[in-house]
Amino acid sequence: MTKKQRKRFILCLVLAMAFGIAPHANAMHIMEGYLPLGFCVAWGIISLPFLMSGFFSIQKKLRQNRKNITMLAMSGAFIFVISSLKIPSVTGSCSHMTGTGLGAILFGPGAVSILGIIVLIFQAVLLAHGGLTSLGANTFSMAIAGPFLAYGVYRLCKKCRVNRRIAVFLAAALGDLFTYCVTSFQLAIAYPSESGILMSAVKFLGVFAPTQLPLAIVEGCLTVVLMITLENYAQPELKNAGYLENR
Amino acid sequence: MKRHRGYRHSHKLADMDFYACHSGLRDWNGCYKVGSALWILLLCLVLDNLWVSIFVIVTMGALNRKGNRIEIRAYLRLLRIPIFFLATGCAVLAFEISKEPAGEWSVALYQCYLYADAERLWQAAKLFFRAMGAVSAMYFMALSTPAWELASVLQKIHVPKVFTELMHMIYRFIFILAKVRKTMKMAACSRMGDVDFKTSCRTFGQIGGNLLIVSLKKANTYYDAMESRGYEGEMPFWEQEKPVRMWQILALAAYTMALAALWFWRKP
Repeated sequence: MTKKQRKRFILCLVLAMAFGIAPHANAMHIMEGYLPLGFCVAWGIISLPFLMSGFFSIQKKLRQNRKNITMLAMSGAFIFVISSLKIPSVTGSCSHMTGTGLGAILFGPGAVSILGIIVLIFQAVLLAHGGLTSLGANTFSMAIAGPFLAYGVYRLCKKCRVNRRIAVFLAAALGDLFTYCVTSFQLAIAYPSESGILMSAVKFLGVFAPTQLPLAIVEGCLTVVLMITLENYAQPELKNAGYLENR
Repeated sequence: MKRHRGYRHSHKLADMDFYACHSGLRDWNGCYKVGSALWILLLCLVLDNLWVSIFVIVTMGALNRKGNRIEIRAYLRLLRIPIFFLATGCAVLAFEISKEPAGEWSVALYQCYLYADAERLWQAAKLFFRAMGAVSAMYFMALSTPAWELASVLQKIHVPKVFTELMHMIYRFIFILAKVRKTMKMAACSRMGDVDFKTSCRTFGQIGGNLLIVSLKKANTYYDAMESRGYEGEMPFWEQEKPVRMWQILALAAYTMALAALWFWRKP
C-alpha cells in the first residue's frame, strides 16, 4: 500500500466505525459486571456527597412548596423520555441523547444528581442500559460530572456575555463530552494497560470516539433547538423551573 | 407469551416492563427476587471464574425463558446492548498498542503495532463472560420485578421516603410522557416532519420542547388530583402480601452451593 492508499484506508476505517459500528450508541453506560467490585463500591462512595447535597436541595424545595414533588417527578420522567428518544441520523444508526446538559440548565445540577440516579435505575430496569453494580460509576459520570460541568460552562458563558444559544450548545456538547471522558477514565483506572492508566484511557477514548464525538455535537444542536422552542412557547413554565432566573 | 401476543406493547420502552408484569414469577416475594438476583450477581463478580459465569448465563437464561416467559428472540434482542458494549470494552483490553512489534500476534498499523497474546485474550474472554453472567442475573431481576415493586423493596430497606416516592411517580409519568411523545411524533411524521435530516432535527427539538411544556402543565393537574384524593405528603400503596416459601430459600442455598462447588472444582 502506498502512503496515500494507507491514508485513504484509515479514513474509510474511521468512517466505517463511525457509521457502521454505531447501531447502539446509548450514551456510554458501563455495563453490569464490567467493573471490579472494589471500583463499584468506590465510585458509589465518591458519588455519595453529591447525592446527599442533591437530596437536601430537593428536600428544601419540597419544604418551600409540597407541590414541587409532581414537578420534580415530571422533570425526572422528562429526562428519562428525552434520553430514550432516538435522535435523527443520516445513517439510520440508533443513538440517544444523554439529556445531562439540558437537565442541568433547566433544573440545576443538584436536583439532576438525584433525578439522574433514579433515571439510571429505570434505564437499567426498563431499557437494559447500564446496571446496578455499575450504578455508582454511571451516576458519577452521567448524573454528577456531566451536569456539573454543563452548568458551570453555561454560567461562565452567561457571565462572559456569550450568545445564549452558543452557551446552551457549549454546555450540552461539553457536558456530553465530559461524561464520555470521565467514563473512559473510569474504565481505564479499572483496567490499566501495560503502559499505564493514561495509555489505557487513550485506548478507551479512541474506541468510543467515533460514536461519542458526533453524538456530542448533535446533542448540542438539538438542545439549542429544544431551548428555542421552550423560550418561544413556555416562558411561565421556564420561570417556574428556575431557568429564567438563571439567565 | 402466546396469549398476550396480540396485545403486546409496541413501544420498546415498555418491553421489559411488560415482561416483568406478566412474569410467571410475579407472585414471588419482591425482596426475595431482588435479594437473590443481587446475591447471584455478587457471587458471579466475587468468584470471577469462567465456568461459574457460564453456569450463571445458562441457568439465568433458562429461568428467564421458563420462569419469566420471555421469548428467546426477545431475550437475545435485549442482550444485544450489553454484548456490543462488552465486545468493544473487552477488545480494548485484549489488544495493546506499542511502537515495537510485541506479543504473540501483532499487526502493523501506520506508525505503531497492534498486538495481543494468549494471556490477554484469555483475560478479556473471562471478563466478557463474567460481565455477561452479571447481566443475566440483573435481567432475571428486571424481567421478574416491575419497577414499582423495586421502589417498594427500596422503601422496605429504609431508603429515604422522598426518593422512593419520586421513583413511584417518575415510573408512572414515564409512560404518560412516552404516550404523549408517540402521538406528537405521529402527528409530526404525518406532516412530513422527518422528510430530511434538517427537518428531523427541528422536529426533534420541537417535540422535546413541547413535551416539557405538556409535562410541566400535567404536573400541576396531577398534584391537584392527588390533593383531592387526600394526599398530605405521604403516598401509601396497596401491596399484595407475598410470603417467601421455604423451598425458595432452599433453592437459593442449593444454587449457591452449586456455584461454590463449581468454583472449587475448576479454580485455577
